[in-house]
Amino acid sequence: MENLKIAATERSPEVDFDFKHGILSLRGESYPEDASAVFGPIFGALEKFLATVGSREIRMDFDLTYFNSSSAKALMNMFQLLDRAAAAGASIKITWFFAPDDDTMKEFGEDFSEDLEHVSFNLVAIETVA
Amino acid sequence: MAAFNLFDAEEKALEQAGALRRDVADAPQAVKDGLDALIDAYGRSVREQRRLVRVSDRLQAQLASVNHELGKRKAEAEEALDHLRTAQESLVQAEKLASLGALVGGVAHEINTPVGIALSCASHLADATRDMRKLFEADDIGVDDFERFMATALDTTGLILSNCERAAELIRSFKQVAVDRTTSERRRFELGAYIRETLASLGPHLRQAGHAVSIGCPDGIAMTSYPGALSQVLSNFVMNSLVHGFEPGQIGEIRIQIDQPAAGQVRIMYSDTGTGIPEENRGRIFDPFFTTRRGTGGSGLGLHIVYNLVTGPLEGTVAVECPPGGGTTFVVTIPQSTTGRDA
Repeated sequence: MENLKIAATERSPEVDFDFKHGILSLRGESYPEDASAVFGPIFGALEKFLATVGSREIRMDFDLTYFNSSSAKALMNMFQLLDRAAAAGASIKITWFFAPDDDTMKEFGEDFSEDLEHVSFNLVAIETVA
Repeated sequence: MAAFNLFDAEEKALEQAGALRRDVADAPQAVKDGLDALIDAYGRSVREQRRLVRVSDRLQAQLASVNHELGKRKAEAEEALDHLRTAQESLVQAEKLASLGALVGGVAHEINTPVGIALSCASHLADATRDMRKLFEADDIGVDDFERFMATALDTTGLILSNCERAAELIRSFKQVAVDRTTSERRRFELGAYIRETLASLGPHLRQAGHAVSIGCPDGIAMTSYPGALSQVLSNFVMNSLVHGFEPGQIGEIRIQIDQPAAGQVRIMYSDTGTGIPEENRGRIFDPFFTTRRGTGGSGLGLHIVYNLVTGPLEGTVAVECPPGGGTTFVVTIPQSTTGRDA
């Protein structure tokens, strides 16, 4: 299926879903005024993709520096979606990146991973290149 | 594709629970009541979650725009600071030029006297020579006339010579000071002689008011440093004494005492017998634009320039003391040889 590439805006993250290679990523900040305008297309494509994956290997990277509560809820929904696909047989590896000095982002990652049972969830500290 | 809904899963669960409730119409009342209460509580919880998300979204948006505004303000403030620094630098430069102007004025005044004397002597000699020529053409020169002319010629040429020599000597000493002042060349010079030349160039300012200057400097202190900077520092001290230190009409005294507290170090103690600097101002006198004479022409840059020159090119320190006996003492401690790191 078509890859999904959306450039970042001031208030929304960069989306790079390479469905062909099974490598998906969200990068940047997310505090849109209209969450459904930003996340609607992302979920639409992701749901369609996950329905086709079977037992493929999929990598999903989250490299976010700031998000609001709607985005947090959307992320949790996304994790549920991925966890369900993993339960159904896909091999899904989620990596949650955070800056070494950003304890908040690290703790969000820890919180989000609590309910996930079937995906592998990794927290990785990386220096962001300014 | 249905419209994106953050609480899609929760709503589906509620719908299923509603369907379940309809399916169990025949169940015992306690089970139905319990299920109703559960559905009601869950529905309320989802509504509350929606509300909380909206509330915190709004707060976060506010925070983001405040942050954005803050960043903009910070950038603006930094830009303003940059402008201010540039303006300050150009003012400092202007102040340096203004003090160079005062120096040039002093030089003009000094040279005016010998040049004026030489000029009137030359004009007198020209007149006498013209008269002599008339007598010569009329073949009417008496011995008396010739003797008088010879005396005039000797006197005037003697005066012309000595005054021109005086003027040439003045120009020589001023030239070096002025050149040093306008260039920032590091070179070797003899400290005592250079301080004397600098003070000589400030002579008219000092003499007019009758102030006495004494310089105590051991001979043969060879410096490798920036003479222009040193000359500027001393000039600014003198101008400070004249403008701030001495009361109008007071005949003051300026003393410059030099010693060597350690090998390779030179300490210049500049003192005046003026009014001194009040305790509360002492910490600020080297700050740019600090002046007690804003309305009457003080720029507040004189001692700031001193501070910059001493701590910059001269690689030393400057301190101010107000001895109990009155007056002000500036103590400048500099190395005999600078490294030239600020060149």
